[in-house]
Amino acid sequence: MTAQKDFVVSMQAVNKWFGKHHVLRDVSLGLAAGERIVLCGPSGSGKSTLIRCINGLEGFQEGTLTVCGATLDGTQERLAEVRSHTGMVFQNFNLFPHLSVMDNLTLGAIYARGEPEDAATERAKGLLERVQLTSQTWKYPGQLSGGQRQRVAIARALMLEPEVMLFDEPTSALDPEMVHEVLGVMEELAQSGQSMIVVTHEMGFARRVSDLVVFMDQGEIVEAAPPETFFSAPATDRARGFLGQISHAT
Amino acid sequence: MTEAPASYATIGGAPARLPPLGSTGFLARLHKRYFATPLMSIVTIVLAAITVWALAGLFRWAIWDAVWYAPEGAACRDAAGACWAVIAEKYRVMLFGAFPYQEQWRGGAIIALWLVWGVLTATNLFAVSLRLIGWLIVFIATIALLQGGIFGMPHVGTDLWGGLPLTFLIFGGTVAGGLPLAILLALGRRSQLPAIRFLSVATIECVRGIPLLVVLFFAALILPLFLPDQLNVDKLVRAEIGMIIFFAAYAAEVVRGGLQALPDGQEEAAKALGLSYWQRMRKIVLPQALAISIPALFNDIIRAFKNTTFFSILGLFDVLGATKAALQDPNWVRYGLEGYLFVFLLYFLICSGMSLYGRSLEQANARRGRKVER
Repeated sequence: MTAQKDFVVSMQAVNKWFGKHHVLRDVSLGLAAGERIVLCGPSGSGKSTLIRCINGLEGFQEGTLTVCGATLDGTQERLAEVRSHTGMVFQNFNLFPHLSVMDNLTLGAIYARGEPEDAATERAKGLLERVQLTSQTWKYPGQLSGGQRQRVAIARALMLEPEVMLFDEPTSALDPEMVHEVLGVMEELAQSGQSMIVVTHEMGFARRVSDLVVFMDQGEIVEAAPPETFFSAPATDRARGFLGQISHAT
Repeated sequence: MTEAPASYATIGGAPARLPPLGSTGFLARLHKRYFATPLMSIVTIVLAAITVWALAGLFRWAIWDAVWYAPEGAACRDAAGACWAVIAEKYRVMLFGAFPYQEQWRGGAIIALWLVWGVLTATNLFAVSLRLIGWLIVFIATIALLQGGIFGMPHVGTDLWGGLPLTFLIFGGTVAGGLPLAILLALGRRSQLPAIRFLSVATIECVRGIPLLVVLFFAALILPLFLPDQLNVDKLVRAEIGMIIFFAAYAAEVVRGGLQALPDGQEEAAKALGLSYWQRMRKIVLPQALAISIPALFNDIIRAFKNTTFFSILGLFDVLGATKAALQDPNWVRYGLEGYLFVFLLYFLICSGMSLYGRSLEQANARRGRKVER
């Protein structure tokens, strides 16, 4: 096994309960720098909970989580450090509707990182160009389409210059014709070498982009394999059943 | 080969054209809203007749038969209509209460300041921060003008403060002190620290369980009995503190409603960006929660303005109390109705002005497309 610092995210035997319900059962995984993990599984399998644990939006009762050398220990300092290394993109975008696109991007940089406003604005312009939304800079989220909103959300997360990007079902709330533009941005991001963990049902995306597909069911990791192996020869019945249902649905 | 279905759809359509004549426009709207059915027509005609009859009676009393000028009230005694002369005679007592006669220009200046800055605020000409700074200056000027003792103005004790300037002062202090307190109480109610949560809930629920009158009596009359003499502040200040706490308890629940209306994702996204608790509140949560709360908050603000009338019970002469005192004069005691109508008009104009401003804020919020996404 490699030394821990080569992993941007590493989880050891994480257990979490909602009340008495055991939602994460001995979950261990590591994301190496520059690689991508796609998390998939039926709804309620714990994949969203898992990704939300990684930047401390959810706590967990047992196990250890280390992000870029910072191990969560319950202190605010460690939590802030972990969040400074992670960017998060949500299913429902969660843009700030009372702020312009530009302010959505610069807010975190200016207030959380203490960056000068000019510098933050410059970087924001660069990122908006990268997600092809320069023309929407001064609009409000309510005036954008779903696909545009999600691209703004990606740019907002990238403003933190995160070592790892977390995507929690980024295309599930989108109309079908908009899924493509968001996946396009994510693929471009992957090609640039960004470390990512993506929860998604887009198996085509997983096939093209991921280094490791992790299949979860009922709070535990059931299968983990490179996409070629996972899609052509799933080892377990549960994964086979899941893949069958997904391909029927789409 | 399957059988052709019986269901059908015709391909193609007519080019876009205007709706048929008579289905839009003023007459069509009139018909649809007031005369669509026989019953509606009857209701419209009856209500219109009652309105005309009432307005005609009001016009005869208030204008046609009214007396506008009557020294010592003599001319009013034989008149069939309203006696507006009472207002010409007594307006200074109504507007300024027991404030020394020669110094009443100070009260006039205060009223002018409030009206001018109020209108300027409503026109949205200035940035919000500038408007707030302006209000702070207006507030300080109000106290300075009432109190005197500087710039050669004689000192006037709080027991002589009265009328509209006092009403404005109480109201301004209530909102300025009450809104921040309300926000703190609302945030405290959602706090993760049990002590803070308990303190907030206890304050809100206790105050909401007591009538304002009791709060004011307690603050003004009973509290001094318990406090040592050194801690005894002016009655006006004690009553004002009571007003602030009362306002804050109600407004806190309104703000809490706004906080609850925000989707959890907003705070989560702010957390994920690494913002601290107060940064999240100041930049993300409160701006949106307060915008949602504006209609209900203006309800509370307008009520706070009307609640200033309770001060007359403590022997402080707000507009209503001053009017009551002015109408004690035996020459004019019969014309109380006219006097109170004047006060009614004052309150109506100021309160509906605030109400309109609240509505415009609400619409501006909606227009900017800043509606909370779901």
